[in-house]
Amino acid sequence: MITLRYILRDTLRIVVRNWVLGFLTLLTAAAMMWILGLATLCSMNIQSLLLRLESDLIVQAYVHKDSNPENVAIAIRKLPIVADVRAISPDDALARLQARMGSQAGVLNLIGENPLGWSLEIHVKTASGVQGLVRNLMSMSEIEDVVYSGMVVERLASMSKIADSATATMFLLSIMITSLVVYNTIHISLYSRREEINIMFLIGATRAYIATPFVLEGTLLSLLGALIAALGIIFTYFPGVRALQSALPFLEIVADTRVITQFCMLLVAFGATLGWICSCIVAMRFMISTTKPL
Amino acid sequence: MNIKFSGVTKIFKPDIIAVRDVDLEIKRGEFVYIIGATGSGKSTLIHMITRETLPTKGSVSVGNLNLKNMKSSEIPYYRRDVGVVAQDFKLISHLTVFENVAFVMETMSVPPNLVKYRADKVIDQVGLRRRRNMTPLQLSGGEQQRVAIARALANTPSLFIADEPTGNLDYHTSDDIMKILLSINASGVTVVMSTHNQSIVDTYPQRVLELSQGRLVRDEQGGGYFPL
Repeated sequence: MITLRYILRDTLRIVVRNWVLGFLTLLTAAAMMWILGLATLCSMNIQSLLLRLESDLIVQAYVHKDSNPENVAIAIRKLPIVADVRAISPDDALARLQARMGSQAGVLNLIGENPLGWSLEIHVKTASGVQGLVRNLMSMSEIEDVVYSGMVVERLASMSKIADSATATMFLLSIMITSLVVYNTIHISLYSRREEINIMFLIGATRAYIATPFVLEGTLLSLLGALIAALGIIFTYFPGVRALQSALPFLEIVADTRVITQFCMLLVAFGATLGWICSCIVAMRFMISTTKPL
Repeated sequence: MNIKFSGVTKIFKPDIIAVRDVDLEIKRGEFVYIIGATGSGKSTLIHMITRETLPTKGSVSVGNLNLKNMKSSEIPYYRRDVGVVAQDFKLISHLTVFENVAFVMETMSVPPNLVKYRADKVIDQVGLRRRRNMTPLQLSGGEQQRVAIARALANTPSLFIADEPTGNLDYHTSDDIMKILLSINASGVTVVMSTHNQSIVDTYPQRVLELSQGRLVRDEQGGGYFPL
């Protein structure tokens, strides 16, 4: 307890003495975390949109006359890519066709007997797995033919990949910049006190005792930066969502207050952890190099 | 605390031999001067005792500890038993006299009330009570050296190392510092002091270890700066 008290006092001393650099670091960390947060929210929205589009994707499989459609449906339902399978009877299929043809539906009466067979409507989980699913279905003896929107599937899959890569790049870039800024600030803070650190080490202070205030400084700056960023997200995201929804009402955007609050809390925790890791690395590296005997 | 150097050589890169084949033993409670010209290896010898420098060959032991084999995590605990005073004082400039002295005990998690009691006691011992709340920059060289001595005494060390403690001071101030060091030694603490100060060595005769080009060329009990 006493050591903690001394360490907290030393941390306060360091933060106060280093306030200009600390303030600049705080602003940079806040800006980076804000960008990181908005980029992640943007990606969350794109992913949710793609997911919705993907869940609307239907692969139509026509079943052989001799096969039992229910048994085939059960077998297909077991495939991991499949979200749902619905068996469409010949009568249902005819009714749909008639509805689609509208005023020209009478033409179908000329055929006489219903020519349509059993088919299966297969909903998939992701667009990227559709090609494999189609190959799988084609290899099944019970399936006569498979119809799907090949171009749409391919485009959705490639859009999903681009969105994933863009988010990952933005995420890595923001983390790198934030880490670099925190790392450099703590390094400058340590470097400006290298004489003091040498003295402390000479009179018997442990590495942990000397390093902890610097680690706390870095963690505190990142934590505050992330807090500011979280507030910035709350104050910019919701007005942005409202503006977008009034312009494009059909667009469904992630705007659940609970989800966004949880996301902001996660961002703050992430910021503090990032600051802590960076400060630990720089402080320990500095201590080892400074206190190494000649 | 006994100090023993056995066949110690220190070579700094690329090939500067600072100390060569030194064998010596300093017994507990002794007062020892280490003298010699600039570059003779005095500071290197001192730094090997504080483990700021490791020998290239041979071994240095203090008490039961072989300093070369010491783990880095053990060094702080060793140094807490060694009071160190340097020519350039090595005080933390933004801390007051009291805080500089108290800091040593704080690193050991000594409770604040005990820190205050002991810090005030050693500050009194070196005659700086009235300067307690001043920063080192507000003090004279002699006063700064007294703060450094007070700080070194704060943990009641059993070994006191002074690397040219009077190097930057005038005769009278040096004399005052010397009296403080002798009183520390009188309380049973081993004192090792490197110096160029001829008058100090001649006025207060003690055991003299003389180095020349890294070699120990004289080990004389009660000798003066120059051999008899």
